[in-house]
Amino acid sequence: MGLWSTFLTNLGFLRRKVCVLIIGLDNSGKTTLVANFLHPPPPSLPQKNFDSNNTDNASPAPSLPSTSQPASHPPIVPTVGFSLDRFNYQNLHITVFDMSGQGRYRPFWEHYYGDADGVVWVIDSSDAVRISVAREELWRTLAHGEIKHRTPAAPVLVFANKADLSGAMTAAECTAALGLDAIRDRNWNIVPSCAITGQGVAKGLDWLASELSAMS
Amino acid sequence: MGKKDEDAGDSGHFYHIDKSTVLQEARAFNETPINARKCRVILTKIVFLLYQSETFHTNEATETFFWITKLFQAQDIPLRQMVYLLIKELSTVADNVFIGTSSLMRDMTGKSDVVYRANAIRALARITDTSTLATIERPLKQFIVDKQPNVSSGALVSSLHLFNANKEAVRRWANEVQEAVNNKGAITQYHALGLLYQIRQHDRMAVIKLVQNYSKGALKSPLAYCMLIRYACKIMEDEEAGSRSLYELLEGWLRHKHDMVVYEAARAICNLRDVSSTELFPAVTALQLMLVNHKTTLRFAAIRTLNKLALTHPAAVFPCNLDMENLITDPNRSVATFAITTLLKTGNEASVDRLMKQITGFMGEISDEFKVIVIEAIRSLCLKFPAKQSLMLNFLSNVLRDEGGYEYKRAIVEAIFDIVHHIPESKEFALSHLCEFIEDCEFNKLAVRILHLLGTEGPKTPKASKYIRYIYNRVILENATVRAAAVTALARFAVQLPELRERVKVLLTRCLDDNEDEVRDRAIMYLRIIENEDLCKRYVANESTFNWASLERNLVHYINDDSAHSQPFDISSTPMTTRDQEIAEKSRAVSAAAELSAPSLRRPSTAGTSTARSGQAASSGDAQAGYAAAIEKIPQLSQLGPLFKSSSPIALTESETEYVVTAVKHIFNQHVVFQFNCRNTLNDQVLEKLNIILKPLDEEDGDALVHETSIPISQLVYDVPGTVYVVYSRPGGACPTATFSSALHFFVKDCDPATGEVDEGEGYEDEYQIEDVELVVADYVLPTYVVDFKRLWEALGEAAEVVETYQLTNVATIKAAVVNLFQVLGMWPCDGSEVVPEKATTHALLMSGVYVGGAKVLSRCRMVIGGEGVTVEVAARSKDESVARTIVDAVGA
Repeated sequence: MGLWSTFLTNLGFLRRKVCVLIIGLDNSGKTTLVANFLHPPPPSLPQKNFDSNNTDNASPAPSLPSTSQPASHPPIVPTVGFSLDRFNYQNLHITVFDMSGQGRYRPFWEHYYGDADGVVWVIDSSDAVRISVAREELWRTLAHGEIKHRTPAAPVLVFANKADLSGAMTAAECTAALGLDAIRDRNWNIVPSCAITGQGVAKGLDWLASELSAMS
Repeated sequence: MGKKDEDAGDSGHFYHIDKSTVLQEARAFNETPINARKCRVILTKIVFLLYQSETFHTNEATETFFWITKLFQAQDIPLRQMVYLLIKELSTVADNVFIGTSSLMRDMTGKSDVVYRANAIRALARITDTSTLATIERPLKQFIVDKQPNVSSGALVSSLHLFNANKEAVRRWANEVQEAVNNKGAITQYHALGLLYQIRQHDRMAVIKLVQNYSKGALKSPLAYCMLIRYACKIMEDEEAGSRSLYELLEGWLRHKHDMVVYEAARAICNLRDVSSTELFPAVTALQLMLVNHKTTLRFAAIRTLNKLALTHPAAVFPCNLDMENLITDPNRSVATFAITTLLKTGNEASVDRLMKQITGFMGEISDEFKVIVIEAIRSLCLKFPAKQSLMLNFLSNVLRDEGGYEYKRAIVEAIFDIVHHIPESKEFALSHLCEFIEDCEFNKLAVRILHLLGTEGPKTPKASKYIRYIYNRVILENATVRAAAVTALARFAVQLPELRERVKVLLTRCLDDNEDEVRDRAIMYLRIIENEDLCKRYVANESTFNWASLERNLVHYINDDSAHSQPFDISSTPMTTRDQEIAEKSRAVSAAAELSAPSLRRPSTAGTSTARSGQAASSGDAQAGYAAAIEKIPQLSQLGPLFKSSSPIALTESETEYVVTAVKHIFNQHVVFQFNCRNTLNDQVLEKLNIILKPLDEEDGDALVHETSIPISQLVYDVPGTVYVVYSRPGGACPTATFSSALHFFVKDCDPATGEVDEGEGYEDEYQIEDVELVVADYVLPTYVVDFKRLWEALGEAAEVVETYQLTNVATIKAAVVNLFQVLGMWPCDGSEVVPEKATTHALLMSGVYVGGAKVLSRCRMVIGGEGVTVEVAARSKDESVARTIVDAVGA
């Protein structure tokens, strides 16, 4: 970190360091998403607009196997506990807490709520069965004292992940299923994404970065 | 000022910290950005508190642990290492420590140039349990073969810790570990060898191969060689006596370039079982060279080993005498102490005088701990050369007058006690020294013991009256504990020496005015007892006591059972021990304790076996207490009331069969419980729903017993013992004898011998016949000791007697007949009648016991050799005639 940016940080012009909590049910793609934050795939990949209705499966984006990841990167395994990563995005230095989503680890999320400037909630939009579980967990998180009474309110970004899979719910469907409309006390956004190819990830991050920069 | 400085010196500037403040400070971990320097200090404080044995509650520890995990945000390396340390320390106290798993994995798989990879591995192993082991297995395997020695070591040591939790997983890494033995780092070789041994330790051939392979000099680490030596010893220990397959290797190591290896090899040879003097010779020569080494540690190690060897092979140590003489003046007092005590053991009678003089010279300069060693040496020397006892006693009484702590004084007093017991001619001299000692003794415990000894031994000496003055002085001058002991000692004189009786009575009468209850009570009691010859015999001359373990158990049971309080406590069901037994027990306990403490000097790996050995040696009273405790824990059996008697275990199978079963019979008030200890010796099978089917061979016998329940073993895996209980009730307290045919009934499932994983499926039903179980009269009889057999026998009278005469054709001698009768009746021998003189043609055996239900029964068996075998006239007397009849009939059956 250079002198100049330290100076700016101290003056309050820039908010350099922020913490983001990444939570969501197990197997929703949180760790893959973080891997994508750290090593964004080259932008040459065709970007597909998930906002349009995704019911026509004429040319579904191939769900790339893990071999397409950079060779240096270890294969994604279920996280035990949590893992920490840092990366720079725009004018932010973001520390992400990648929490494990397995049932036995969910009670530990609350230990890290206090640190969160923003929350990234990841859902598996192809898993219609457990969306109700995700809804319950999301609202429990939002109702938690550390999140609820935080000022300024932490923005919530929902990634409707695995949007490339056939039969995945659209963003609108997810919004309805999660009851996001009822969130009144903070800014929120939902972005369909594919963590493997990186589609939609940048869009979500842009929104989050602007929200976090706006907080002072 | 001085004191405060001393304390502060211990704990530096952390002197004033306390837990709650530090935990408050720990909130700083939540701050952003993290102040690494501040956090490091706080972490250090927490570690300091933990090392000062401050206890953290689980929730405190867990909370702190979660705060600490946030410090992973900081990239400060020293802070990170501190975090690892805390994770390791808190892993045992806090809950949910696995939360750190992924973060640690990230750290250890990170770039190869970070210094803390090894630390991360070690911390990770601590927070890993069986469920998360699979996650870290692959990276750990890879790190074992890492090029950096510290990373490889970290992975190996972590595997070693994990091995205890999950043997199978770690076994799969054997190839990597093998590779790591050839790692360049010396310490890595050591760790790899240790783990390799853990993996293979149950495969004897593999361990032999391991030792032979690496003995050729491929290793660099001297520590690794020391391990090899220990493994070699372990192999030889398990071998049959006399075979020394690896002795050559040990001898070869005596010429190793590292002192450590040479010493380890020499010590290993000295500790070999039944070592011969030719085998010892090279080892002693090596140790002798160390005696003149300039390093004090080496001299100390060598002399200590020689000292121990001198106990068993004084002749082998003899050649070192000259070198040891020089060590007496060694500047290190510990070395000098060992030198002199070793010389005492190896020396001949002539040199003792000179050595004693030298010892007296430096006794004042050594610590109590070493003084005790010297005293022990003198004690054994005294028993070796009884002719020198006056010299030794003089020495002992001199040191007794010196300053010293309790342990030291106790060692001296015990040495004198030993001399009194073993060398009768020293008695008077020794007692007078002890008398002098108690005149000015600051340890109550010792004074009481000495007074007790005076009470028992004093009356047997020719000039008994002179001790009375010393003892009475205590009554006047000492505190209550000692006064009470002195009163008892006085009473013993009065009982044993009628001519002194009147005079002692006068003294005891004076004690009636004592201001302590205990002293007054004792005086009153003894004054009454002295009057009555009969009471004297019962309470003073009688030197037997109750078996403490079972007395305690019975009392606890009595107190806990409210319904029993209407009746007084029945002491007759508690077995007695005679004085001889107690002494035998004590000496066995001492030797067992010695055996237990020996491994700490020798090698820790044998600690387990020797505990097992001393466990087996525990007396039957202790065993019964153990059974009772085990049964108490089982809900179905805890209602059965107090345990009356447990038989000794009976083997129902050969010890090498597929399933090994032993049976123990427990008699309760209304029930009989058969306890079957089962062990599965097949490592490819798991037995499920294992039960034991008992069928009375003779239906009539079996009728008196009603089968109530069986408690099966749900799953019996390889080599883990399990217990089946079968409960029969005895309606109306009947005591039938019966024979049961017995069989194991179970479902067999195959399992993988390597992993212990059980195959799917139902398994198949099977039965396995074992030997018959017999319920005999002896099971219902509790052997109890009686003080005065003759008087009790007369008191019961002929009216209560049942007599029968039998011809025992299956025995040829009186001795065999006596053994036979003990087996059949299970009673306690009285008046030393169990000892049969050689070639005796007639004998009378007197026995006593308590029959279930509480009836005391006495039996007299008169035997004569004649005709075919031995003719026995069995007479039994009991208040309950049917009991006497049962006893007599049992011999005929």
